[in-house]
Amino acid sequence: MKQVIDEPPPFLGSWRRIYLLVILYLITLITLFWFFGKAWS
Amino acid sequence: MVLTITAIISYGLWRARGTDTTDTYLRAGKTMPWYAMALSIMATQASAITFISTTGQGYVDGMRFVQFYFGLPLAMIVVCMTAVPVFHRANVYTAYEYLEKRFDAKTRTLVSIIFLIQRGLAVGLALAAPAIVLTVLLGWPDQITTLVMGVIVIGYTVMGGVKAITWTDFQQMLIMMAGLGTALIMAINLLPEGIGLTGALTVAGAAGKLNPVTTDFSWTDRYNIWSGLFGGMFLALSYFGCDQSQVQRYLTGSSIAQSRLSLLFNAIAKIPMQFLILLTGTIVFAFFTFIQPPLLFHPGDMAKLRQNPDYPAIQQRFDNAFRQRHEAASKMVHGEQTRAEFKSAQQEIDATRKQASKITGGNDTNYIFLHFVTNYLPPGIVGLVIAAILGAAMSVISGEVNSLATVSVIDIYKRLFRPVAEDGHYLWVSRAFTAFWGVYAVLTAQFAKNLGSLVEAVNLLGSFFYGGILGVFALAVYFPKVGANAAFIGVLTGEAAIFALHFTGAASFLWYNVAGCIVVIFTGLLISSFEREPQSAGK
Repeated sequence: MKQVIDEPPPFLGSWRRIYLLVILYLITLITLFWFFGKAWS
Repeated sequence: MVLTITAIISYGLWRARGTDTTDTYLRAGKTMPWYAMALSIMATQASAITFISTTGQGYVDGMRFVQFYFGLPLAMIVVCMTAVPVFHRANVYTAYEYLEKRFDAKTRTLVSIIFLIQRGLAVGLALAAPAIVLTVLLGWPDQITTLVMGVIVIGYTVMGGVKAITWTDFQQMLIMMAGLGTALIMAINLLPEGIGLTGALTVAGAAGKLNPVTTDFSWTDRYNIWSGLFGGMFLALSYFGCDQSQVQRYLTGSSIAQSRLSLLFNAIAKIPMQFLILLTGTIVFAFFTFIQPPLLFHPGDMAKLRQNPDYPAIQQRFDNAFRQRHEAASKMVHGEQTRAEFKSAQQEIDATRKQASKITGGNDTNYIFLHFVTNYLPPGIVGLVIAAILGAAMSVISGEVNSLATVSVIDIYKRLFRPVAEDGHYLWVSRAFTAFWGVYAVLTAQFAKNLGSLVEAVNLLGSFFYGGILGVFALAVYFPKVGANAAFIGVLTGEAAIFALHFTGAASFLWYNVAGCIVVIFTGLLISSFEREPQSAGK
């Protein structure tokens, strides 16, 4: 195995926080889609 | 259009100058920034199929297809946490190289061959979609359009390698975004006076097309939130974690962080992009509620139908149903309660189209958006949309051909036939395999044109193999005690389970990945529990 440095992300300080942000984004998106579907069905 | 495509390819080749080693040809010397990889990954997925077939899917089946992508952000997180650092540290050219480091040569070879079969078949589908575009636009025979597209892609892929592909993808993705946005705005603008976006959404909603989240669960229902989150996540995991056509994109990254950022950009951008593409399809549906469409969108099928003695009666039935739907929709948009009449007329239209399709034996889903673009958009915009579709097609075909060549050279030729040779030899062989897979794509595209919705055909094909591949990678990364033989038998058992599931019709194809992966892991663990000592890497 080659030694490769695992750099931190450019914002939010840690990759864990970035991943959490992506999960929150997904939940928000699904919720918005659900309301969109309800509004026009 | 021709100028745009020429400029994009020239730019890509210019950026790829100095590609004179195997490393630069297949991995871009690991120098690519995250934004180039991010758009290249998106472009590799956002093929011509995405444009013409997904909009058609929106028209025919509504927006529920977007749920297929709900698992993608979750998969991206898992890939960023596991596959990206593992592959970077292993310093591999292909994902399958890692399997030999972890298991043995036969597991690597088996999975490489599975990839070559699956991706080799899919590349024909990817080439068939743009051939449809050119056939409709130029009136050329399918065979000629496939050949023209194939020759262009083979040309710049053979010359520039992965660097040329990545930079052309980058440009093509920007054109695609412009084309997509313009098509959506134009579709809304072209709606008859007094309808507008609200009227279009009212009509599409009444027809049941605005259904981006469906919570009813069924094993055989292709698209609902559950199959999207779980089945979609497994498919995306397989695709981004184990499919060389994607892995090769982020292996060109200059660091782990750059590769992660490129994948997370996809996690964020992919779902809204698919939503907008499907929305364009539903707006086109609303447009054709007020402007009468042809009975069938495929010009060839329509010509065939006209030869049938039943044609006048079928056309009359369609015309009547259209008038009823138009009248009901117009009243509904202005607040009258005509939803029942609208739905009844819609069912009659669907039944008539089904009757006509049965006579012709074709499927016109892929021709709906093209008919709209070529007949109703102004010439300049048509050029932009067609350039976007062709750019999308080239990006996906070049990426797939390049990855097929990489696996053929690194995992098969170099590993099994010629382990020691000069770098120049492998570079030459890489170019030769790239040309070979390009020609193969042209030939298989001839059989791919009547597979119904092409986007579904591609995903169905992937689902036959992805579960098995994902399972063996999961064993490699998460179960260090599982040895080579257990993993090898696990893959074979997993594939057998997937085919059994398909031929018994027990579940929708999105579940094949989940089932295949679980069977591989279970079998691997079971067999390894009987082995005295776990086998270690490469022994």
